[in-house]
Amino acid sequence: MTQEGRLHPITIAIREMADIFGRMGFGVVQGPEQETEHYNFDALNIPADHPSRDMWDTFWVKTKPGEERKVLRTHTSPMQIRWLEARGAPTRIIVPGKVFRNEATDATHEAQFYQLEGLAVDTNVTLAHLKGTLERFCKEYFGSDAKVRLRPSYFPFTEPSVEVDVWFAAQGKWLEVMGAGMVHPKVLENAGVDAKKYQGFAFGLGVERFAMIKYGIPDVRLFHSGDIRFNYAFDKKKV
Amino acid sequence: MKVSLKWLQEYFDAPLPDATTLSDALTFHAFEIEEATRTMLDVKVLPNRSADCLCHRGIASELSAILDRPLKSDPLREDVGTYDVPTSLTVEIEDEKKCLRYMGAVIRDVKVRPSPPWLREALEAVGQRSINNIVDATNYVMLNIGQPLHAFDAGKLPQKDGAYAIMVRGAREDEQMTTLSNEEFTMPEGVLLITDAHTGAGIGIAGIKGGKAAEVTVATTDLIIESANFDGTSVRRATQALKLFTDASVRFQNRPSPELCAYGMRDVIALIKELAGGELVGVADAYPTHPKESAPVSASLAKVNSVLGPSFSKEEVEDVLKRLSLSYMIVNDTFTVTPPFERTDISIPEDLIEEVGRIIGYDKIPATELPPLSGTPDQARYRGIEKVKDHLVEQGFTEISTQSFAKKGDVVLANPLDKAKPALRTNLDENMKEAMVRAKYVAPVVLPPGVKPKLFEIGTVFTKDGEHMEIKTSEPAPDLPELKDAPDYSPAQYELGAYKPFSVYPFIVRDIAFWVPAGTDVGRTMSYIREQAGELLVRVDQFDRFEKGGKVSLAFRLVFESMERTLTDSEVNGIMERVSEALKKAGFEVR
Repeated sequence: MTQEGRLHPITIAIREMADIFGRMGFGVVQGPEQETEHYNFDALNIPADHPSRDMWDTFWVKTKPGEERKVLRTHTSPMQIRWLEARGAPTRIIVPGKVFRNEATDATHEAQFYQLEGLAVDTNVTLAHLKGTLERFCKEYFGSDAKVRLRPSYFPFTEPSVEVDVWFAAQGKWLEVMGAGMVHPKVLENAGVDAKKYQGFAFGLGVERFAMIKYGIPDVRLFHSGDIRFNYAFDKKKV
Repeated sequence: MKVSLKWLQEYFDAPLPDATTLSDALTFHAFEIEEATRTMLDVKVLPNRSADCLCHRGIASELSAILDRPLKSDPLREDVGTYDVPTSLTVEIEDEKKCLRYMGAVIRDVKVRPSPPWLREALEAVGQRSINNIVDATNYVMLNIGQPLHAFDAGKLPQKDGAYAIMVRGAREDEQMTTLSNEEFTMPEGVLLITDAHTGAGIGIAGIKGGKAAEVTVATTDLIIESANFDGTSVRRATQALKLFTDASVRFQNRPSPELCAYGMRDVIALIKELAGGELVGVADAYPTHPKESAPVSASLAKVNSVLGPSFSKEEVEDVLKRLSLSYMIVNDTFTVTPPFERTDISIPEDLIEEVGRIIGYDKIPATELPPLSGTPDQARYRGIEKVKDHLVEQGFTEISTQSFAKKGDVVLANPLDKAKPALRTNLDENMKEAMVRAKYVAPVVLPPGVKPKLFEIGTVFTKDGEHMEIKTSEPAPDLPELKDAPDYSPAQYELGAYKPFSVYPFIVRDIAFWVPAGTDVGRTMSYIREQAGELLVRVDQFDRFEKGGKVSLAFRLVFESMERTLTDSEVNGIMERVSEALKKAGFEVR
């Protein structure tokens, strides 16, 4: 009998997330890792020369003069626009995928990591739904003790914007886990959705961060080093 | 933005609560706190509030709303007064889009000296250095109400027909300037400068830093005070091009209202008079285009609740507007707010709704699940990819994830992090080769003897024809399913245990074989070996067994590793010696 190989922990994490969100009616879609400035920034209400661009350390792709400027996507949020443009509202999707940040690496920062975007748009989706959805997700992913707390924040593509903290009973503390908010009406309009009729929520979580918290992984650089000892550093059980 | 609690207290009659309470109040209703001491809070002001909250007055207003305590007085709601127009100063703006307003005050006969203790302490409490009473006054007013200010030594500027002349213009090609901190800069063309129009000399980089040429010193007696507003984009480009980031440039990038200039001027003139005496000659005010009054923003109670989700009452929403000191009207159930000039962030109904949500508190928002949808969500493409992964895992392949950067490729980065890898990978081959070398080396730690590592990666590659997903295996994989939609496939789910760290130091492998009587329990023998070998043993596998003449030969492979250091051969030999001796004592014959 062949000895089974091992999936990468990121795959295992994304599968578990896709399963939980799937049960709440979310589809799974993918998007390009190389993005245009339009989808990565402008359409998300992040204009050029605006200080909010500083929120993302960006890898720019060399382009020819006159060619549209391109980046390695700094977040999975461009898929909000692409998906709404293609399919319109109502919709519920998650978008797992690799994103890139041009910043020095350390135990909690990598130049490339996985994000999982969530988007729910309908005529009556509210901030309370965001809280309810994330609370259920965190309880299923981290355990039934998990609680969710929202704090004010700012992202150009959501209004209101919030930071999401999760309560970990075992450690007796709150940890900041993601940014979220109600999709900014301009973002809906930029994607051709009638913002008078539709509204929705969006969130973006770091997959590595979730796995690090869940399994006690101390260093994000372990994930994408290609070292198989990382795959084998966990007892596994098929469910 | 560091705020001093003592300074904040100036805004309130009753004593403020302690730093922890204030910290929580801000965290859950306004901004994160990066650091809190008993006397200071470092507030992470959000980008949309950087126009009005990078100052004590801004944070005090937030606390006033959150704690529901009125401000003793609000400097931005008090009259700014009027001034004589001086005959001794002219101000000219070359591009009205880049300099939205320029106020210049002429003050004569001041005495420059060290600041009084209260001012030194106030500045030092928020990490600023005291320089002299004039410079400190400009900094104090900026930190108090948010308007950047600058003082020039008028005595170092020429007069013609009894007048100084300030010109705000773009830098000429290769124009040089030395800043207050004695750094010499060659200006990129177009960077906005404050210049002396009589000589054309630069005396400041607009909205960023003052120049050496008109520095205020102890010998200074006459001042020109600048309270201006420079376009955010223009300041942002200049500050990035010069790599010169200052308190002023941060504030201008966030586009405070040009109305604020008058408040800054009022306060700095009063403070300079108090600290340094002197006589105000007059204030020139070049204000080409007054901004439009803030447009009213409306939201109905129904809209507020339909975005947030709960059922807040009209009274609750109205209470928030009152606490924020916003001027509003209520017609039927619709709130119409006319934001004050400094609240540049309120322009659409959702902005008002955010104010309601955060001031009441997001803990008052219920957690409501989305209504169930009919039908199953579309996960077909994702499931198709996972199906291929599951197939490979069943075949013994282990999944790796590697970096997308490469030495060479068709897509090249303009600003790579690692200069040795400036491109994006065109295939997964190179990374697979490297991972395989390492996998072969570490195999004894993770795989049983005789099992050779097999790897795969599924990842995006970037070629001339664009990006696509590629599957790479370390050896041919039979019957690999095609990468296609699999709507009904259920990817295998795994539960993982807690992470068990592995060592960064090399491991050492040793084999041992011995005869045991037939019927000896292999599991117990293995536990015995573990016990004898101690904690440096990280893995033991049985790799051979045969019988001969009523005896059984067992062979085990032992892997040793330390989390703290590189093991030596002699140390491991010692351990093996111990294991052998113990086996012999147990009556086994070591081969």
